[in-house]
Amino acid sequence: MVAFEVPEVDYTQYSNRQLIAIPLVVLAVALGVLAVTYAMTGSPVALGNDFTGGSEIKVQSSEPISEQQATDLFGDTVVSVQEVSGQDQYIITFERSADVSDLTDTAEEADGITVLQSGSTSAVFGEQSQRFALMGVGIAFLGMSLLAFALFRTFVPSIAIVISAFSDIVIPVAIMNLVGIKLSLGTVAALLMLIGYSVDSDILLNNHVLRRSGGFYESTYRAMRTGVTMTLTSIAAMTVMAIAATLFGIDLMASIGIVLVLGLTADLMNTYMLNVTLLRWYKYEGVNR
Amino acid sequence: MSTLRDNWRIVLLVVLLLASTVALFVPGAPPGTSANESAGGDQLTNLQYGIDLSGGARIEAPVVGMTAEGINVSVNDEADAQQAIADRLGIDPLDVEVRGVEERGENGTVEVYNENVTEDEFRTALEDEGYQPTTIRDGVTAETRERMVSVIEDKISTSALSGGRVQDVNSPGGQNFISITAPGRDADELIDILNERGVVRVYAVYQNDSTGNWTQQEVLGQDDFRNIGNAQEQDNQPQVPVVVRDGPAERFQNDMAEAGFGGGASCGVDASDHDSVDTIEGTCLVTTLNGEPVFIGGVQQSLGQSFADGSFADDPSFVMTTTSMAEARDLQLSLQAGRLPADLDFESGTQNTLSPALADQFRTNSLITGLLAVLAVSLVVYVRYRRREVALPMIVTALSEVYILLGFVAMAQYPLNLSHLAGFIAVIGTGVDDLIIIGDEILQQGEVGTARVFQSRFRKAFWVIGAAAATTIVAMVPLVGFPLGDLSGFAIITIVGVLIGVLVTRPAYGDILRNLVLDE
Repeated sequence: MVAFEVPEVDYTQYSNRQLIAIPLVVLAVALGVLAVTYAMTGSPVALGNDFTGGSEIKVQSSEPISEQQATDLFGDTVVSVQEVSGQDQYIITFERSADVSDLTDTAEEADGITVLQSGSTSAVFGEQSQRFALMGVGIAFLGMSLLAFALFRTFVPSIAIVISAFSDIVIPVAIMNLVGIKLSLGTVAALLMLIGYSVDSDILLNNHVLRRSGGFYESTYRAMRTGVTMTLTSIAAMTVMAIAATLFGIDLMASIGIVLVLGLTADLMNTYMLNVTLLRWYKYEGVNR
Repeated sequence: MSTLRDNWRIVLLVVLLLASTVALFVPGAPPGTSANESAGGDQLTNLQYGIDLSGGARIEAPVVGMTAEGINVSVNDEADAQQAIADRLGIDPLDVEVRGVEERGENGTVEVYNENVTEDEFRTALEDEGYQPTTIRDGVTAETRERMVSVIEDKISTSALSGGRVQDVNSPGGQNFISITAPGRDADELIDILNERGVVRVYAVYQNDSTGNWTQQEVLGQDDFRNIGNAQEQDNQPQVPVVVRDGPAERFQNDMAEAGFGGGASCGVDASDHDSVDTIEGTCLVTTLNGEPVFIGGVQQSLGQSFADGSFADDPSFVMTTTSMAEARDLQLSLQAGRLPADLDFESGTQNTLSPALADQFRTNSLITGLLAVLAVSLVVYVRYRRREVALPMIVTALSEVYILLGFVAMAQYPLNLSHLAGFIAVIGTGVDDLIIIGDEILQQGEVGTARVFQSRFRKAFWVIGAAAATTIVAMVPLVGFPLGDLSGFAIITIVGVLIGVLVTRPAYGDILRNLVLDE
């Protein structure tokens, strides 16, 4: 088995501008995606049934179900049919006008179909969840920011943590929009987890650079060695979880896994390009001002 | 002894691990469980599973109704006010609830549980009765919701659904709703049970001799029964034996005697032919359930005799027969559990059903998924450090964190859902992260010579860990307070897990490392 060592990056080769450009461009593109989605749909993220209201049933079927077949069976309220890989299971989504008990009855009467799961959320309820989820993420982010400022008490290092956490959340949300993962209560949980994970490595870096003796590059390398190991461990765990859960058809865990893999990867970039650069600027130029 | 004292963190860890084992595996260990009960759980552990992992239904729905506040009505006038307001609105008095003012300064309320009444109509009716409501709002009072919860609990347990949970969920600034979880049932069955408000009424139907008009007189109401027997079948006739309370029994017998049932009555009307008591023409005793006649029958001569001579009140019992056993059971259920103060508005809520088969799949597969994730973490950690004495304690410590958390969940009898498992995974993730911080800090900065050097490094590592834990907790706390169902559970699990990690397992890992490093 090969041992892996975190490679030492020679930051002196790159200027602050060069380093910070990439994460900022990625962030800008991500924000652009959200803006376009907002312009097209009226919401910056594609919302799932949890937030818009609607019905969904998951069925076991001996024969494949196409969207056409679903519409024939259930009528025009069918929005989409999604196959759960390799399990002969299908998730059928309906508009919120559909009555879930009728749908379940219809499905039960059809040949070769067993209803495994059914759920519906009313529009009123979805709106309420939407409001609370937004408030939840907002308050969590605000609390995290205040705590960051309380811990380091200087502007640049604290704002570095806040920006990189913000970017860590925005990038996966943008990718979710692009690949068609809708926001559900489960993915909101994953975004909140990201706040925690993201801050871990940022605090570690700031702590090594600001509160320890030793030169900037040496401190940065030490923090990287630990921080990259941490993030890679989490990425490994989440990749395995995302793959296993997808194969098993556990959507909630699969989407949490995917969101976290995306977010943690974004975190590697943000921490060791964006945050490091802001800290270097602060250490060499900012302090003297 | 001093070894023990120096390693008290490890001792604490071991104690908690043992306690968790007891909480998880000793039957009856968690408070509120008995040794042979396992509703909603499995036989092997004391863990409770939510519907995601055991199958069942969850319904969340607001209560239908409006509340007018600031009504100045005394407790003694409640009944009159209720009748008057109901008359003005043209609705059943059951749909109006007046809560009077007992002491000065209290806020009297009037609630209307009928969805057809508009706010304006309600306000006009109140003003016509001389009340000046300060506000009229959607939703019902906390007292009504509490009563809803307890009646629903009764209904669910009398209908042999075990392990159900009913909760009144408050949303700050939003709509309050009732959340009902019942393992092993689907949402339709649950809604059927709840949809029926369970209003039972007994009418005497008789003809006025001179005019020939039929009168439907209510002679007994829901609260007039003292004892309800089990639904049973006798001589192919499904029936429910009932006993009437003393006070109402006397009134009932007098009413019946006056209505002309003293000599018994043969009815000759079939319950299945009528949807309402109003269309019945025949001298009959009629029992309605939610307005629909379930029992229409005559009165036997001996029973009629007892009404006439007043001996019924001495032994106020009779049987209500129904057309089917299912109806008999419904009737029994409604009489026993009482009626819901108001309807639930299922249209504006959420409902979820999960088949036990899928839940079983989820349970096994999520366990496998979790184990695979742990394996992946272990592999990365091992590859990174290549030293068994560092990697192994790390993995063991991270696992014990999860184990203690499981023990806590079993102790609290908290029903586990998929979202909570995500919380467990979050805990493993941050846990291992923190152990890596401790490990790196202590091992990778040159030799550790003395306990003092060790202590100082450990403290430095701990600053980062504490700060990170604090941010995670700050990020999760708002979710605990919001009514976001599973998300709240996820947040609770994560917070408790982080606390266990920071206070117990991560310091213990430090002690373990110290022993390993300083021994060398």
